[in-house]
Amino acid sequence: MKLTKLLALVVSVFLLLAGCSSGSSSDSEKTKDGKIKISFINGFTGGDGAYMKKITEAFNASQDKYVVTELQEKDHYTKFKSGDYDLVVVHGNNLETYKQDGLIQDIGPVIKKAGIKESDFHQAGLDIAKLEGGMYAVPLDIHPLTMFYNKDLTAEAPKTYEDLKALNTKLQAENKDTYALGVPSSGLVEFYMLMIAAQNGVELKDGEKLNFAQEKYADALMQFHDMIWKDKVSPAKLGLDGEFQTFMKEAKEGKAYQTAVALTGPWFYGAAKEKYGDKLGVAPIPQIGSELASYGNAHTIALSAKVEDDQVKEGIAEYLKFMFTPENLLNWAEGGQAPVHLATLEKIEADQEKYQIAYQNSKQFENYVNPPQVYQFGEQMRYMNESVFGKLVTTENFTKKDLMKELEKASKTAEQIAKTAPQK
Amino acid sequence: MYKGASHKIWSVLMVSPFVIFFLLFWLLPLAFGAWISLHNWNISSGNLGFIGIENYKSILTPGTLYYDLFINGLKNTLYFVVISVPPLVLISLALALIIDNLPEKFKPVYRTIFFISYSISVTAVSAIFLWLFNGNGGYVNNVLESIGIISEPINWLGEQPYAWVTILIATVWWTIGFNMMLFINALDEVDGSLYEAADLDGAGAFSKFVSVTWPQIRNVAFFILIMTVIASFNLYGQTRLITAGGPEQSTNSLIMNIQTSVFSMNQLGIGSAMAIIMGFIMMLIIGFQYWISYRNKE
Repeated sequence: MKLTKLLALVVSVFLLLAGCSSGSSSDSEKTKDGKIKISFINGFTGGDGAYMKKITEAFNASQDKYVVTELQEKDHYTKFKSGDYDLVVVHGNNLETYKQDGLIQDIGPVIKKAGIKESDFHQAGLDIAKLEGGMYAVPLDIHPLTMFYNKDLTAEAPKTYEDLKALNTKLQAENKDTYALGVPSSGLVEFYMLMIAAQNGVELKDGEKLNFAQEKYADALMQFHDMIWKDKVSPAKLGLDGEFQTFMKEAKEGKAYQTAVALTGPWFYGAAKEKYGDKLGVAPIPQIGSELASYGNAHTIALSAKVEDDQVKEGIAEYLKFMFTPENLLNWAEGGQAPVHLATLEKIEADQEKYQIAYQNSKQFENYVNPPQVYQFGEQMRYMNESVFGKLVTTENFTKKDLMKELEKASKTAEQIAKTAPQK
Repeated sequence: MYKGASHKIWSVLMVSPFVIFFLLFWLLPLAFGAWISLHNWNISSGNLGFIGIENYKSILTPGTLYYDLFINGLKNTLYFVVISVPPLVLISLALALIIDNLPEKFKPVYRTIFFISYSISVTAVSAIFLWLFNGNGGYVNNVLESIGIISEPINWLGEQPYAWVTILIATVWWTIGFNMMLFINALDEVDGSLYEAADLDGAGAFSKFVSVTWPQIRNVAFFILIMTVIASFNLYGQTRLITAGGPEQSTNSLIMNIQTSVFSMNQLGIGSAMAIIMGFIMMLIIGFQYWISYRNKE
């Protein structure tokens, strides 16, 4: 066989394989029975995933014109960027990046078709979904930093830092291995750093970048250092997710610490409820800084920029209309999330026991401060998350001067990241 | 059996699956990666044009974002290569020698015991070591405190050098079986009469190892060394799942940072350039090892 023939064979195989791959298309796809397909990708791989599936399955069962194919993937952002999906769940702190990258489009006309109005949502949710130039997503929920407390160790939820200190004194007098709360050195530290900024009125957004190098912010952050090394309300060197792990431990003479309170993510609710049952208390976070404010992330549903087909848009409108009906969205609250849809919130308030965590978190909406809308927020925060906070809480003799140096470095990195934004 | 043109056709047919898959899954991605590294390629916005060696310049210019990312990852990875390769080779050799000297009926049992950890996924290995080395009430700390070796808990995952020690122990436990099996096979190939001759000369265990065993297994040992260096360069799962790159980014491996530049920062061009440079560095190190080995042979 001549070389040319061999090459022809190889090229044929390539072409065959290329033919097998699916190309992207903006036209509507249909199922065998003629229903228009809508693809929806999200990252709900935890306990909440089943509740979103329940909503989608109920919609599909109610429909003879549209069918929603929901894909729950751990790494759904990567799949969304490289695939062809109509709807995507985007976290509140990523929305600006997705908008600037041209991956999502104004969803205003679609929600108008669905009969959904801005006034249907809590202002905290709207503030996240509305960006310059329009409404870029439908706000689904807010999952703020949440307080769990062990009712065996504290009957009342602490409301201030002074309460935490008093609780710690009481617990330490009883058992040296029991503390008020745990400060982690990694994991949920972004929530901690943004929460303390919000509770001290620090504005991190500076144009397109985050500016951490502020005296006021350094003072605010030093409180975490003092919580461990000065006030000793938290054990030292707790590591990844230490706030929750310590809350779930049982104090063991010099071998394990336990805490009465955890400032943590609401997604740990299932595990905590399983361990503590009725002894688990849930409440809004206490005031640690100079003013009461809450911080956390949010789930929003955004429309892919690739969707052009009007029939698909109509189907999406139908799906959103179905989802944002209190009876259906209550499933989401049952999964432990706090929806920002006002009519659903009313139902949650009416049944506070059943929707314990959703209700308690919805109380934090009133003083919620949303993530700064900057390009590549997560990357701008990376040095703070992975390096600065760890040093701050694990180094006993860490000074404000040391911290300022680190904050300057973090700001410089954030500025470099901000410059990678697509040119407008 | 096969002659002339028929023989040639059969040869091409037999070799073609390898050629096709080699082209599809190795050469083509490599060439495509090299091509992407010369472009301003954003995961979200696509190919924004040819920029020559600008990506390489950004990575190799001190003070830039990508330089810090690349150098930090490279330093951490090289550190891991240095601390992990000697134990991964020497401990596996020691285990193989021990098993080789066991009575025949025990050999399969111990071979299986030492090899079985290799069949576990990195996710399960990480979960086990996270539990064992938890700083607050973890198993290792409890044992060490109970027998009086330490007076207060060690923050294994949140402080250096303990984080590297944990990663190293996890890696050795997880992968040692593979190298050990290769050494066992090499030891099986050593001619038994050579040991008999050495016994007659009155050689001790150490002399037999140096003069008989080592020369016979040297080529396999060199192969194992190269494979271990490559495997250690590809450090990812353990540092991603056990330490999450911490404390303070000190266990962020180069592969983790390449992933960050591609999937978090969207810079596919930069990530590809980093991967190409990493490939060159690995080639240099392996080339150097070949050179040393070749020189020793001469």
